[in-house]
Amino acid sequence: MSLEITRMNPHFADVMPQEYTDLVENGPFGRDFGARDLGSFKELFEEHPMCAGCNLSLAFRIIVASLPNPADTIMVGSTGCNSIAFPQLALHNVHSLFGNQNAIASGLKRGLALRFPDKVKDVVVVAGDGATADIGLDMTLHSWFRGEKFATVMFDNEIYANTGGQESGMTECGEIRNMAPTGKKFNKISVANLAIEAGCAYVAVVTTASPLKISKCFEKAVLVAREIGPTYVQIYTPCPTNLKLKSSESVSLAKERSKGTYQFREHVSPEAEEFLAARAEKTEEQVRVTSKDEEMHSA
Amino acid sequence: MPDVELKPVSTEHLLRECQREEVFITGSEAVREAIRRANVDIAVAYPITPQSESMHLVGDLYAEGYIRDYFRGENEFAVMSEIAGAAMAGVRVFTATCGPGTLRAFENFPMWSGTRLPIVISFMTRGINSPLTIQPDTIEMGMLLDTGMIMLHAENAQDLYDMILMSFSVAERTSVHIPVGVFVDGFFVTHTRQKVKIVSEDVKLLPYDPTHSPVPTMDMETPPFRYMRDPFVMKSNYISYAAHASWQQEVMAAAERARPHIEAHLGSFVEQENPDAPIQVVACGTAVSQGREAVRMAREEGLEVGLVKIKVLRPAPREEIRRALAKAERIVIPEFNRTGWLAREIASMIPNNDRIAAGPRVFGGMTMPPEVIVDVIKGDVLVGV
Amino acid sequence: MSGQTAIRMSGLGGQGVVTAAHIIGSAAVIDGKNAVVNPFFGAEKRLAPAESYVRISTEEIWDTGEVLYPNIILIFHPDVILKGKSYTMPFFSGLRKGGVIVVNSERTITFEPDERSMLEEMGASVHFVPATSIAKNVGGTELAANMAMLGGLIGASEIVSMAAMEEALTERFAGTKKFVASGTTAALDDQIRKQYDKTEKLISSNMNVLRASAELVAGRGI
Repeated sequence: MSLEITRMNPHFADVMPQEYTDLVENGPFGRDFGARDLGSFKELFEEHPMCAGCNLSLAFRIIVASLPNPADTIMVGSTGCNSIAFPQLALHNVHSLFGNQNAIASGLKRGLALRFPDKVKDVVVVAGDGATADIGLDMTLHSWFRGEKFATVMFDNEIYANTGGQESGMTECGEIRNMAPTGKKFNKISVANLAIEAGCAYVAVVTTASPLKISKCFEKAVLVAREIGPTYVQIYTPCPTNLKLKSSESVSLAKERSKGTYQFREHVSPEAEEFLAARAEKTEEQVRVTSKDEEMHSA
Repeated sequence: MPDVELKPVSTEHLLRECQREEVFITGSEAVREAIRRANVDIAVAYPITPQSESMHLVGDLYAEGYIRDYFRGENEFAVMSEIAGAAMAGVRVFTATCGPGTLRAFENFPMWSGTRLPIVISFMTRGINSPLTIQPDTIEMGMLLDTGMIMLHAENAQDLYDMILMSFSVAERTSVHIPVGVFVDGFFVTHTRQKVKIVSEDVKLLPYDPTHSPVPTMDMETPPFRYMRDPFVMKSNYISYAAHASWQQEVMAAAERARPHIEAHLGSFVEQENPDAPIQVVACGTAVSQGREAVRMAREEGLEVGLVKIKVLRPAPREEIRRALAKAERIVIPEFNRTGWLAREIASMIPNNDRIAAGPRVFGGMTMPPEVIVDVIKGDVLVGV
Repeated sequence: MSGQTAIRMSGLGGQGVVTAAHIIGSAAVIDGKNAVVNPFFGAEKRLAPAESYVRISTEEIWDTGEVLYPNIILIFHPDVILKGKSYTMPFFSGLRKGGVIVVNSERTITFEPDERSMLEEMGASVHFVPATSIAKNVGGTELAANMAMLGGLIGASEIVSMAAMEEALTERFAGTKKFVASGTTAALDDQIRKQYDKTEKLISSNMNVLRASAELVAGRGI
């Protein structure tokens, strides 16, 4: 999107909702805001109607703030709690069916690549553990096998939260959940291992205990997907409602798990490594040039 | 790339004014010849008999540079979603499937209509398990009647060719913008070699213009704005009910608005021979061809019999059918399926349903001998109402 | 149906039953007639029963699908008759009065008494053609047996002209457009191309097979 498109038409300024004026004047389009700056700019995702203490909405807020190119990013969601979050997002976004998010994104990314050959259009999939690892697993994996160039994010709360706390493939073995009344009988699926095996160029496993880590990993995932190939970020987002926690306790649970059964993992393919290193060098150089400029100015 | 630079022309020009050459080809090859000229951006394929040849040939067009992107998806559900994603990005798409593939993909079809995607898809109809069958059968059409898509039924490879080419301009109208399904009987048409008149190879349809879409294209080229303050999804309040209901009605209205655009290409939704005859055979697809032969045989025996060919099933040809059958004393409806969905449709449109002989019905893959239709015309074989 | 010649070809998958139907249909169109060609197969498999159907007429042809009441029946393999490897039992069921049957067999098949009397009642003329050995001896490959069968048909009925057959064969094997009956048929086409170094040789060889078989049948009815 050209920033010209969002610019306020002065003849309409008095009738446009405050919402729009805020987005134009203090939104992230064309500005270098990140997760560190949350609270200082008009966010693209806000006023969500999720439960108090919802870790999914926390993770959602962080990744939307971390988008490297929000003005040209289209997000694809799926059914579940994230389909309540998505309508609050001021980016073009798709809810289609339960589980088909990576198939939709495959067609979307290819279509945009044809229409905008000289422009970056990022596609980002955000879906729950049920959508990614159960009902849509074939489409998740096949988009990776085909090397589709978009990032896939799983919000892993280890249950079907929106339908009332049923067991999912991502539930830990032995946990008692709805539809697993005597405890889950098989291990948590390692989608991260599947992602590596399927050829993802970048894979990360993080929790809501480390917001800045989420931000960093997610940004890398979007950039690597744009240039090299499919990427996957799995974020542990415990659900206070279904786990019967106080809203303040959910992040503590994430902290506890991040030290034990949900530890940080990162896989970077050699090609992605090279790309990220080159990019970091470029950024450093830019920083050097900028600070030199500033020195010159102040001198 | 194609040997010649293809000249983009309007659908009307391509179908009505371009010179045509008669070729002896299969139905699958007719699909290739239609898509060669359709200026399609992305096609996604998945094998299933008897559709596979069609999408192989579309793949050949990709290799030759007529289509910009093409791949084999992982299953029909995924393929229909991949096609949907591409349509949301604002490009022209095409795919095809049949029978079990149609049912596996089913959830996508009402989603396409509700998302207002101008997708053109061909269904090479096939029977549905169990027991396993790969043979022609139109049972899936009865199941798709209420998915919101426009439904055309080709009688032969010529219809298939013309209907695919015209469908893009119907689907892509701003006032319509819903999917069009072009149905054709598997094997009976797809694998049958017959004469087809095709237009010269130096033209193609004008490209799809996504800026004419009635809903935003998912490209971040229009101002982003939150869709709603308080999302109506999964809410139990009046505004959420009203939003869903009015949206669904708008999809139905879009199909109604397609009528003049379909008529511009096909003429009437139905075609009638011997309209004054007291006995009328009403059919669509290959059953029309068998009906034509039966009518010829019956007339040779001195019977007064007419034929009604239905070309469009959605939007429903209610008025057209009522007019065509106003004077009929006996209505024979031959069908290639078990359920008799066409007879049910006709019965819901006309008064005095005791006029209807809802058969013969052939399913499982065999052809319908015209002799059997003649038996029903004569009343020698009784079928239900 | 008046004025229509309907042909039913029964054989085993891989024998070229479908290809034969397409070639004779094309030849009829080249001769200026109308033709409709239907192959019918189950899941595609070598040696499974395969049938194809050709309708030829100077008038418009409407009906389609399998031919239930043929004027001409071609049997590509004795197993169709002897082992019932067929969609249609008995193999001559539905044959119109005065119809023609051409069977690929090295020797005359003796029918059961009831079958023999039914065939007599129909006034059917039955021709046995050693199509496989003609294909091997004249064409150098068994894969040309379907051409020998078409030769037998032309010898028995002159339904299409030899000139049109040659043109149809050229169109099929030397044409620039890829021929499509099915994915598997296309694979078999590539295989037969491999049997001959040059396309011209493939066509002349097949024409020789066709002529040899036509002459045999024209000179010898049973």
